[in-house]
Amino acid sequence: MNARHPGPTSDRYRLEQMDADADLMVLNFGPQHPSTHGVFRIKLILDGEVVVRAIPYAGYLHRGVEKLLEKLTFAQGVPIVDKNDYVAPMTNEQALVMAFEKLLKVEVPRRARWMRTIFAELQRIASHMLWLGTFALDMGGALGGGSGVFIYTFRERDYILDLFEMVTGGRFHYNTHTIGGNRHDIPPGWDREVIKVLDLIESRLPEYEAMSSNNAIFVARTKGVGVIDKELALGLGLTGPILRASGVDFDLRRDAPYHAYDELKVNVATATAGDCQARAQVRVAELRESIRLVRAGLAGLPEGGINGGKPIKMPQQFKTMSGQAYVGIDTPRGELGTFVVAGGGDKGTAPYRCKIRAPSLHALSALPWILPGHTVSDVVVILGSLDPIMGEVDR
Amino acid sequence: MQGLLRGLVYGGLIITVLMTATAWGMWLERKLAARMQSRIGPNVVGKFGLLQPVADLMKLLQKEEIYPIGADRLLFDLAPFLVTTFAIATAAVVPFTAEAVGADLDVGILWVLALGGLMVIPVWMAGWASNNKFALIGGMRAVAQSVSYGVPLVLTSLVAVVFTGTMSLSGIVKFQIEHGWLALWPPGPGVVAFVLFYMALLAESNRIPFDIPEAESELVAGITTEYTGMKFGLLYVGEYVHTMVGSAIAAVIFLGGWDGPFHVASGLHWMVIKTVALFASVYWVRWSLLRFRSDQLMRLCWLYLVPVSLGLVIFAALWRHFVLR
Amino acid sequence: MGYLLDSIRALGVTAKNIGRKPVTVQFPKVIRERQERYRTSFALLKDEQGEERCVGCLACERICPSQIIHMASTKKESPVTGKKRGYLDDFTLDMTACIFCELCVQVCPFDAIVMLKVPHEPGYAREDLVLTMAKLYENGEKPLTWGNGTKLMEMQEPPKPAPAPAPAAEPAKTEAP
Repeated sequence: MNARHPGPTSDRYRLEQMDADADLMVLNFGPQHPSTHGVFRIKLILDGEVVVRAIPYAGYLHRGVEKLLEKLTFAQGVPIVDKNDYVAPMTNEQALVMAFEKLLKVEVPRRARWMRTIFAELQRIASHMLWLGTFALDMGGALGGGSGVFIYTFRERDYILDLFEMVTGGRFHYNTHTIGGNRHDIPPGWDREVIKVLDLIESRLPEYEAMSSNNAIFVARTKGVGVIDKELALGLGLTGPILRASGVDFDLRRDAPYHAYDELKVNVATATAGDCQARAQVRVAELRESIRLVRAGLAGLPEGGINGGKPIKMPQQFKTMSGQAYVGIDTPRGELGTFVVAGGGDKGTAPYRCKIRAPSLHALSALPWILPGHTVSDVVVILGSLDPIMGEVDR
Repeated sequence: MQGLLRGLVYGGLIITVLMTATAWGMWLERKLAARMQSRIGPNVVGKFGLLQPVADLMKLLQKEEIYPIGADRLLFDLAPFLVTTFAIATAAVVPFTAEAVGADLDVGILWVLALGGLMVIPVWMAGWASNNKFALIGGMRAVAQSVSYGVPLVLTSLVAVVFTGTMSLSGIVKFQIEHGWLALWPPGPGVVAFVLFYMALLAESNRIPFDIPEAESELVAGITTEYTGMKFGLLYVGEYVHTMVGSAIAAVIFLGGWDGPFHVASGLHWMVIKTVALFASVYWVRWSLLRFRSDQLMRLCWLYLVPVSLGLVIFAALWRHFVLR
Repeated sequence: MGYLLDSIRALGVTAKNIGRKPVTVQFPKVIRERQERYRTSFALLKDEQGEERCVGCLACERICPSQIIHMASTKKESPVTGKKRGYLDDFTLDMTACIFCELCVQVCPFDAIVMLKVPHEPGYAREDLVLTMAKLYENGEKPLTWGNGTKLMEMQEPPKPAPAPAPAAEPAKTEAP
């Protein structure tokens, strides 16, 4: 693509053309490996400890969600996408539900939109907390300082799950979004609990930063590692924090507002370096911004009904024979898009085709470009900085 | 004949004490780490989980021993035993009090450093014999790291030797009783030498932030990837013993051994307190820091630790020549 | 030098956390306090006269995304009211494939199927994870979760005209305990 990233198929990485004495070693990194964030395999071709070529293999967690969505009706499809991006189920539901709403032309009431905003931002905090923990874990190891950060962030993430549990009854399988709005209203006193948790997280964030993102060892490990420049990021279709860390000021929340983001002003964090440190900085800045957004959302939460359509009574409730819709929303990992074509199932009760554009899959496609030249230690750092969720990659 | 008997008795005693101390050192570490991470730690087996090391031992003994295909069986079997043996053998010269010392060698420090240097051989054996690429990389890293960090370790020990004018460990302690602890006196260089020694010790015993040979997030488990059962246990114990003995030696060289602060109530208990405190601090560091990359580790060693410790040696020589006479 | 100072700061953080109370909840000994709406296993309810609420209308069987609910029913005369209605002959809910979406609870017009606040007990065989009709009626005695079909539907009522903003949130307030 350019001089810095010649691309995995360019001559520079053609094994036949390498020095015959180079003594290369093939290392299968994963699928069973502590730091591949699930079941992901990278075939690394090493010269000593330096990666010469990296070939990623995804697909070990394929569950056929897209096919299932064709089989299930519109009403039934929502709960099954919870498991795609298993770190941020809320935003998965939202992406799917919004596409269905657009296709079926259902209006969402204002209160439901604000609630969705609050859920999405709380989910972003939870997801970025988990990312910070696992990223430190990649660097510090399960038997080291990394696990300290990991357990601290998990401790606080659990409070957010408790908040979701208060509203939806689920800690993971929320199924709180429905076509036309939300299924669960916020219980009384919930906002006070949220503020309490946010205060706690805000007061403890400097601690995590002292142990991870502001730490000199962290900086030494991440600075200049895994640089994705603007051109490559745009060329590969990277989105979310990765794109913003590469110097592209793009955020769907601000540039194509959905939910209540048109009323809440979003400050988009960007960085220009494009390395692992920049990605970490962007995510930590987003954490702070999300805390602010949740506070603002709670303050401005309107009253009213939460479901603009009809509550689900039977599976064949929503029907359409024509049309297609694409909705992309900004999840913690980037643009999660859902493209849905009407006309499947029994007389249009199900999507004919439902395609989920997973941001993690695109993020992983950067690996063959950025891994060569780095050592094995950097591989886990780069992989961690991309924050891939395998459930979403393989679907 | 009497010497042999004494050796056997003392040797048996030191192995027993050291292994027991290490076992409960592991318990201490797990408890400490748990509290640092808002957890409880082992608390099921025995009161406060105190019997956890016994349970772990039982578990390891019951496990099946697996030889990977293509492994070099002799080296694969030998490595864990050598690791533990070398680690324990180092303890022979550690003076716990003026009397309680296995062999008060005139060149005690040399014995310690030599055995510490030898540790790299079984580690490499384990890495090579496993026929596993992760283990191989771990072994390569271990060799590079041990060899590099051996240099500042030797140089900082040399600081102590130059100051005190003796290579005998009990001689060093006696000098400190007379003149003050090396970590505190002369103010400044002593404490720098101690910190450098401590860092080199962390690196030699493969502890975070210098634990790249077994960096489990990268290399699965480094050299121990293919080990199972008691052989894994021995590799594991070997590391802990190494850390424990290293702590004891740091206490002897820089913290005055069995000498109490201001010579108050000197005795074995002070040696134990200092060793355990240093041992615990190693794990405090371990559970707080992230780890370096291997090339950063080498840079840190050769660009900072080695020159500084060289300067310290020169300073020590000048001090010895002009101040102590 | 930066390494040293930052390392000391990190050491400070871990030292500070030693003083904090552990957050571990040792599961089998201590059961965590769950929220009002927490939902896990299932139960079938009987009404005040001790009659089964479920009439076998198949609403839950049809809506279930995992298709794990199966039922059979016959029409009989009710001994209480004397009217003809359906009675369950058989009802099974396979917990091995349940995704806890709460849709069956929502669609039930008679509030017959509800969810539990206490998790399903583990078993030694796959059959132990299948909730039969007897087990489901037994579960009715256990602590139930807040939601049932009526409440969930009430909560999602379409927005009322301007003067009454509260009703949507109100039911939760009054009926929560």
